[in-house]
Amino acid sequence: MGELDANPAGRLTVEIANDGDGSAIVIVKGDLDMTTTEELEARVDPVIQSSSDRLVVDVSGVGFADSSAIALFVRWASLVREIEIREPSAMLRRVIQRMGLADRLEMSP
Amino acid sequence: MEGLAVARSPVGSEREAARGRGAGRWPFWLAVAVLVVGLVVTAVLALVSSGLYARNETRLLELRARDVGTALTAALPSIQTPLASAAELAEATDGSPAKFRQFMAPLVGRGGGRPFVSASLWRASDPGQGPLTVVGAPSALASRKEEAQPFLRQAATSSGLSVIGLLGGPSPRLGYAFSARGPFIAYGASALPADRYAPVQNSSTFTDIDYALYLGDSTTRQDLLFASVRQVPLSGRRRTVRVPFGDTAFTVTVAARGPLAGSLPQRLPWAIAIVGVLLSIGAAALTARLIERRDENRRLYREQRGIAQTLQNALLPAALPQLPGMQTSARYEAGAEGVEVGGDWYDLIPLGGRRLLLVVGDVSGRGLKAATMMVSLRFAIHAYAVQGDSPAGILAKLSDLVSVSTDHQLATVLCALVDVDTRKVSVTSAGHLPPLLIANGASQFVESGVGPPVGVDRHASYSSTTISAPAGATLLAFTDGLVERRGENIDIGLERLRDRASTNHATLDQLITRVVEELRDDAAQDDTAIAGIRWVS
Repeated sequence: MGELDANPAGRLTVEIANDGDGSAIVIVKGDLDMTTTEELEARVDPVIQSSSDRLVVDVSGVGFADSSAIALFVRWASLVREIEIREPSAMLRRVIQRMGLADRLEMSP
Repeated sequence: MEGLAVARSPVGSEREAARGRGAGRWPFWLAVAVLVVGLVVTAVLALVSSGLYARNETRLLELRARDVGTALTAALPSIQTPLASAAELAEATDGSPAKFRQFMAPLVGRGGGRPFVSASLWRASDPGQGPLTVVGAPSALASRKEEAQPFLRQAATSSGLSVIGLLGGPSPRLGYAFSARGPFIAYGASALPADRYAPVQNSSTFTDIDYALYLGDSTTRQDLLFASVRQVPLSGRRRTVRVPFGDTAFTVTVAARGPLAGSLPQRLPWAIAIVGVLLSIGAAALTARLIERRDENRRLYREQRGIAQTLQNALLPAALPQLPGMQTSARYEAGAEGVEVGGDWYDLIPLGGRRLLLVVGDVSGRGLKAATMMVSLRFAIHAYAVQGDSPAGILAKLSDLVSVSTDHQLATVLCALVDVDTRKVSVTSAGHLPPLLIANGASQFVESGVGPPVGVDRHASYSSTTISAPAGATLLAFTDGLVERRGENIDIGLERLRDRASTNHATLDQLITRVVEELRDDAAQDDTAIAGIRWVS
């Protein structure tokens, strides 16, 4: 919750790290609607195209994500060998399950 | 046209109407309130400033009155000292008229700062005898015996200066007598202006005030010694002080000729009033302008929203099929920020053999791109369905039309193939929320196998789940805008819908209207499509 408080709705922060073994880690904080999703896409796409066969998207700081965010995750999944959606909220997890995407977007834990 | 009317959202129209009424009320009450508050504050400030000015002026006038009193008191020695010396000299010289005249001569006369116009020496034991000698003008006292006797007798027994006003007649005098209880009384008289008018000299320190000097405690015309104006008593703000003088006293009334503290403090209340009124009017005008602009923005927003809604309605089915034994109804509701078209849609496609295909779908994202994709999917489904493809086949084929990798879009689609006569419903879902089946006052979601959304996987395959609907049942399909709220699990929203939809409604139209009205968050960002069918038993 602390992280959510530090990132009021609508403001997006993105951190990108490469851990050297071919994994890119993207830490997203804020709400993901159509506008912020476009921003996230613009920030992360170059990283994915240049490297990574494994992408970790840490969404522990994401309060809300709409279908355009999920579409983005699915597109990333098609670009890399492996994708991990790390620490989704119960809400986000349920939406992904409801959309029949649980087996394509590996969620942990 | 009938279909368009159905597709129109009554909820939306009511909200617009409510806004319209709000704007119809006179909107400038706030500007008026700002003006009134500004004027009240201005009035209070001006009054306070004016009160302070008046208090300050009164205080200054009081000080000036005291100054006048001090000046009068300071004049006493210049009268008393020569008379005392003359009385003493007379006693020493046994009442020598020559010595008296010699001593008093420089002090008597007109002009040159001489205090007396006439001086005389009297024997204290017998003033009725008349003056022993007179210097200067003839003694008025000598000619007015009936006033002179008691005055001189009293002066003979007094240790200080005795004062008498000889105010009647053509040459009024103010007389002073001094004996110090000795054998002789020295008397001097100063002349008063005949018309009692003695303007303030320009060199005087009292040019800023008018004054009137009275003998004794009264301020009547007959006791007036002299005044700086011809009209007494003084008018305007004035102050009166009593100044003891010899055995009597003077009463001095002073009045300010103008503002004593200068003209700036006097003008300040007016300056405050003028500036305050101007500022109030300015603030009110600015407020009115802002209100006007706000209303203008609201109007533009409504207009844009109306355009988006109209465009969306044009992209959605123009009419719903009418089948005997069935009610059909559908709505589209733009999101709160619905100034652009969305990607939600519904469709009801009549097929041969009294079958219907109920479709609801949602393309990710918003705007023209989402709307275009929505339209192509809608018409593709139409075409495939009419060709005779099964819902699972239709959804699989749609994967050729959209790909998340290239289009950056995906779409969730729900197809429900309905056999009107057998009431069999076959549900197929591409990542879409399940439809709700309402029958006999209870409702439940038709949970089928959920395949991936369209656009995720070109080789996706879909499975269908078939149920038998009871007679009189209602089937509702919808998009997530109806149930989704930020910060809330989607399952809670679904449960809320199930709960609300269980209530009985006479027609399907009413049910859908109520459900949309009650469930949609007014702040909902997302658009909503909802479509339903009902078997009429």
